[in-house]
Amino acid sequence: MLELQGVTRRFGDLTAVDDVSFEVDDGLLTGFVGGNGAGKTTTMRMAMGLLARNAGEIRWQGRQIEATDQRRFGYMPEERGLYPKQRIIDQLVYLGELHGLTAAAARASATGYLDRLGLADRVKVRVEKLSLGNQQKVQIVAALLGEPTALILDEPFSGLDPDAVDAMTGLLREHSSRGIPVLFSSHQLDLVERICDRLVVMARGRVVARGTVAELRTAGPTRYLLDLGADAGWVRDFHRGIHPVDVDGSRAVVEVEASGAEQALLTEAVRRGPVHEFARVIPALSDVYREVTA
Amino acid sequence: MSRRPAAWVIVMRREILAKLTDRAFLVGTLFTLVVLAGVIGVQGYLGERTKTYDLVATAEARPLADQVATAASKGDAKVRVKVTDANDAVAAHAAVDTGSADAWLHHEATGWVLTGRTGVPDALATTTTGVVRSTTLAANAAAAGTTVQAMEKGATLTTTQLVGDPQRSDLNKGIGFGMAVLFYVAVLMFGITLANSVVEEKQSRIVEIIVSAIPIRQLLAGKILGNALIAFVQMAVYAAIALVGISFTSVGRLLPSVTGPVLWFVLFFAVGFLAIACLYAVAGALASRTEDVQSTSMPLTMLVMGIFFGSAFASGTAQTVGSFIPPFSAVMMPIRMLDGGVPWWQPVLALAGLLAFAFAAVVLGEKVYRRALLQTRGRLSVRQALAAAE
Repeated sequence: MLELQGVTRRFGDLTAVDDVSFEVDDGLLTGFVGGNGAGKTTTMRMAMGLLARNAGEIRWQGRQIEATDQRRFGYMPEERGLYPKQRIIDQLVYLGELHGLTAAAARASATGYLDRLGLADRVKVRVEKLSLGNQQKVQIVAALLGEPTALILDEPFSGLDPDAVDAMTGLLREHSSRGIPVLFSSHQLDLVERICDRLVVMARGRVVARGTVAELRTAGPTRYLLDLGADAGWVRDFHRGIHPVDVDGSRAVVEVEASGAEQALLTEAVRRGPVHEFARVIPALSDVYREVTA
Repeated sequence: MSRRPAAWVIVMRREILAKLTDRAFLVGTLFTLVVLAGVIGVQGYLGERTKTYDLVATAEARPLADQVATAASKGDAKVRVKVTDANDAVAAHAAVDTGSADAWLHHEATGWVLTGRTGVPDALATTTTGVVRSTTLAANAAAAGTTVQAMEKGATLTTTQLVGDPQRSDLNKGIGFGMAVLFYVAVLMFGITLANSVVEEKQSRIVEIIVSAIPIRQLLAGKILGNALIAFVQMAVYAAIALVGISFTSVGRLLPSVTGPVLWFVLFFAVGFLAIACLYAVAGALASRTEDVQSTSMPLTMLVMGIFFGSAFASGTAQTVGSFIPPFSAVMMPIRMLDGGVPWWQPVLALAGLLAFAFAAVVLGEKVYRRALLQTRGRLSVRQALAAAE
């Protein structure tokens, strides 16, 4: 397990990362979301030991992390970097060797991954000849070489086509099911919602929410939607543990302030006439995100 | 499973392979070799070949022309003269004008005249002047009842020098200049290459992947050593070709006497190159884009030019002082040693100074490199880089 405790980083007067704490559990996919400039990349760089921190602690398997631990992590930086003029396979073998693999093992591992990402016939091509999406796949392979003990990936999905997204998802799941912690940042909330076990949301350098998708979606106030056969205007004056959020024609959305108050509301509605719909409203992740980062 | 090499070895290997598969580098090296071999070959050819001139003369001038031909064949200057006859002045004039003869030897009221079409070849003029002078002097001396030898007695001047011999001095100057050029070219070329390869990694951000896998020091060491190795091999090949070329010339016999200073130079070159290469790596790290390298490496380029001019042109006290000041000592000490008379402790002291400089450069270099490597917004100064947190 990778834990960040009160991690802080300042650049001059700007506090890019402010007292950030969260953990990335073994065997789970943790999504890292937040707007541009929220501090995700800086946080990931500190987790990789590329940037020093001004305060806070990073722990690995319950103890203070060391450079030798971080060197066994698989890392994919935000801005894609490869040698443009070198052949894909040579480049991956080089990076694999730097991670402590033998040349033969690195070659075998790289070829296997490239095959799965549909690049098997392009292993001898120079990187500069590849499309951006394909260059990114090569980078992902670079991060996965050599059985990393954790994965820290900055925007691994950006620029990938749907097939590649599926292949990538498969790869990430495979690694998390090996029992290693996987942290990846993304702007694509629908994707994060679909594949992540847990979520960390950052805004303005701070963690503003964390938990499973279900926890985040249900963490807010409980809301119900009421759809009547007639005008719902009376709901505004119902009170009794109910706060009307939005009343429009025959529909009303209310927030339940006292547990069980929604039942009284339903009883009243049924007494007044037909009820077409009465349901709990669970906000989409994107709505939750908008709310916590606002 | 075979033993895995250290990270810096892997980095060094990649630097070398990248260089050896870089077409521009290979073509450049080959081109330089061809030019070098060509220059040496042309020099050799010019030195060895025999040039024959056609000298036209009328009957009146024929005896003197024959003497010129004889003198030319006796002299060791590689000049031969072939005499052709002309019936009269008009025919001789025409022969020169049409190019069938190189010059026309004839007598005027003021004395002998040698006429060429657009000029007279130097070698022919020199030979002819000598012959005219000696025959005329002999005739005048006989008329005055004496001999040329008697008239010229004691009228000679010979130059000698206290240290070495004249050919040796020329060789020293040549080799010294060669050392200065070699160091200048190697440091500038490989320095810029190194700076560019550092900024290339920084610009493409692959450096983030690399330093997340290995210590920065190993990356820096591998890059510098890889480039240094290529530089040494390339310069050694150039130097070997030049020395082989020299060995075929008349000063070749003196080559063994410069072996000592040349070996010292190899040592000084290695240490000096490493120190400056490290500073070039820093220049690369201070830039964010390839375009910035020129300005971040400007102070170094000035320094390298200073070393070149200092070692190529300084003499006397300036040279002696310079031969102890790193990094100038890298070239100036071996050049001083070529002239001889340098006690053994002086190169040792200079080398120690150079080593200290190299050590300082590596320590400072690593510090700046570490801090500047992940700063990707614009150009940095050394001061800014050192002030930045890691």
